[in-house]
Amino acid sequence: MSTYSIEEARQIIQGYDGPKIRIMEVCGTHTHEIFRLGIRSLLPENIELISGPGCPVCVTQVGFIDEAVMLAMEHHAQVCTFGDLIRVPGTEKSLADIRREGADVKMVYSPLDAVELAKQHPEKEVVFLAVGFETTTPVACLAVKHAMAQGITNFSVLVANKTMPNAYQALKTSADAFLYPGHVNTITGESVCRDLMEKDGVSGVIAGFTAEELLDALATVVVHIQEGKPFFENCYTRVVRPEGNPKAMSIIDEVMEPCDTQWRGLGVIPGSGLKLRDEYAAYDARKKFNLPRIEGKANPACRCGEVLQGKCKPSDCKVFGKGCTPQHPIGACMVSNEGACSAYFQYGGK
Amino acid sequence: MEQKVVTLAHGAGGKQTAALIHEVFEEHFKNPEFTADDAAVLEMGGAQIAMSTDGFIVSPPFFNGGNIGKLSICGTVNDLACMGAKPEYLTCAFVIEEGFPMDQLEEIAASMEKTAKEVGVKIIAGDTKVAGKGQVDQVFITTAGIGRLTEGFATSGAFAKPGDQIIVTGDVGRHGCTILLAREDLGIDAEIKSDCAPLWGAVESMIETSRDIHVIRDATRGGVGTVLYEIAAESHVGVRLNAADIPVDPAVKGVCGMLGLDPLYLANEGTMVVIAPKESADALVETLRKGAHTAGAAIIGEITEEMAGKVVLTTEIGTQTMLPEPGGELLPRIC
Amino acid sequence: MCVGLAAKVVGLKDGMALVDASGAKREISAELIDDLEPGDYVMVHAGIAIAKIDEEKAS
Repeated sequence: MSTYSIEEARQIIQGYDGPKIRIMEVCGTHTHEIFRLGIRSLLPENIELISGPGCPVCVTQVGFIDEAVMLAMEHHAQVCTFGDLIRVPGTEKSLADIRREGADVKMVYSPLDAVELAKQHPEKEVVFLAVGFETTTPVACLAVKHAMAQGITNFSVLVANKTMPNAYQALKTSADAFLYPGHVNTITGESVCRDLMEKDGVSGVIAGFTAEELLDALATVVVHIQEGKPFFENCYTRVVRPEGNPKAMSIIDEVMEPCDTQWRGLGVIPGSGLKLRDEYAAYDARKKFNLPRIEGKANPACRCGEVLQGKCKPSDCKVFGKGCTPQHPIGACMVSNEGACSAYFQYGGK
Repeated sequence: MEQKVVTLAHGAGGKQTAALIHEVFEEHFKNPEFTADDAAVLEMGGAQIAMSTDGFIVSPPFFNGGNIGKLSICGTVNDLACMGAKPEYLTCAFVIEEGFPMDQLEEIAASMEKTAKEVGVKIIAGDTKVAGKGQVDQVFITTAGIGRLTEGFATSGAFAKPGDQIIVTGDVGRHGCTILLAREDLGIDAEIKSDCAPLWGAVESMIETSRDIHVIRDATRGGVGTVLYEIAAESHVGVRLNAADIPVDPAVKGVCGMLGLDPLYLANEGTMVVIAPKESADALVETLRKGAHTAGAAIIGEITEEMAGKVVLTTEIGTQTMLPEPGGELLPRIC
Repeated sequence: MCVGLAAKVVGLKDGMALVDASGAKREISAELIDDLEPGDYVMVHAGIAIAKIDEEKAS
């Protein structure tokens, strides 16, 4: 187990003179921090960072926003959401658009706050928009359990939660090594990534989020890659335990079950989505409001899908920086501050 | 075709606000005196004066560190101060929602009196309108002010020169953070007090220290980041900041960490950006640090010739990265 | 994904913890962590503690 200081890590990274390596940072917060810290400017030309699909907002299908819009506009529900989703374009409208038209769209810090709102306002139907990966799913499940335990019936969730293991399978040829998303591994532990190495020969390290942690993780990749065999290392041991957080995993399993789901840009990945188990059907907004199946339409000019797979850079997209800006996003990758397109645009990325 | 409407982003002080002013107001109001600065500089009957106006719609009207009344005086006083003008006279117009408690109105008026006294500015006229329940949110105040310009002293957002030092007169983002916590039900509790303060005293003492000052800007809506982008554009220069030197209250940092926000884009109501040549900058900071509202003054960066129009940050690990351009409503980032 | 913030536990009550991140305080759910005590550091995400973390490296 190695831990490099910032200076050591820099020397390792900048001293690399082997064949080109492509490293995918899976997590959107990694993308954001890498730009904020100017880490790309430290990399030699033969190390390329690819921004992966780990921004929940970016991989959420257009139809999900359409469903949320329908809940607010036609069913007059109070739609509670993380700030991240407010500007994401739906087929016709975003949540920001309908908020201006008077719809009840409320920003919350936690799904538990949405349960509290439902309790305080029994006259309203409160719907929480549940997006996110293993890190964010447990608290959404807790919210459902809290509501049930307190007999709150005017609360439900619109679920679009996703899980990473099968996404790694879909992405495993996109990069030479992964920076695994530290806060997902905080919940899931090391085993998924260890299995990827042992069974599929996929390399990667679990990375933290500070300058020191990110540089340490990158240096660790550079060192291991030169050893020429698949590797895995946990570079975020101050937070990530080998077993993860079993309590969090079991609450996900208790409340939700896997399903196939559409990832924007990656298509349907079998078993990578989550839905509420039948016991919790009363809290499933789709069932409660009898929502029709909505196939949202993304703008055809948008290349978010290829960006998410590392097949093209944001700046290769025709609408990047022209029709599509953080103020007027066309694709989801431009919406979230974590999105690869937004980060490229805001930080003048190369 | 969808009808274009005014959005919250048009009021956030960033790009869209500038576009709205340019496309709608400037289009109709343009004249030689019309200004992008905080106040207009005029000559009337031989006297050099500055004039400014500002509307206040802060919700909630009472917050830690002040209220809408204090804010309405500070806002206009500071706009005048930024031009180097001593605030002399103010007017105020109230729009009050039917049902607003009288004792709260008293309290607002009392803090306006107190703040005006501190600066030595007189409130000389006003207007009162009462709107029906729901037509306004509690109370809105608009103030306008006239100040006397300091002879031979002129600043402008277009005067920044390469090599100049960038000073902030205090830690950044406190007002915006205070209001965010008060307004949104985010459940976060922090001992953060708005920086809301009148700054004519600070400007006066700076002018006494050195007249060699190029820009003074009130870093209100949109925060220090937005103001620096404006100055970079108006002066056709680059801005380089040293991230480690930017003063931020630890609790503001904590709140921003929880919500994924940048304090450089949170509003201030008693913090200015001052740009001055190297020779005078240290003395100005020393003067400011003795002032009542500017003890946290610091040099945070310098003006450069390269990267014109951009704000570049030197990060904690010595790399260079661009400060994202200001854009629209601030949204907490969680997932 | 997943903005996380290290914070210190300053109070515990009924499965909830009051945490402090350099002066910003919030009540969060502590249900997913066993044996939490005041003074512990946790990683906070969207209103819950997702892990207990090493104190000396908390920030």
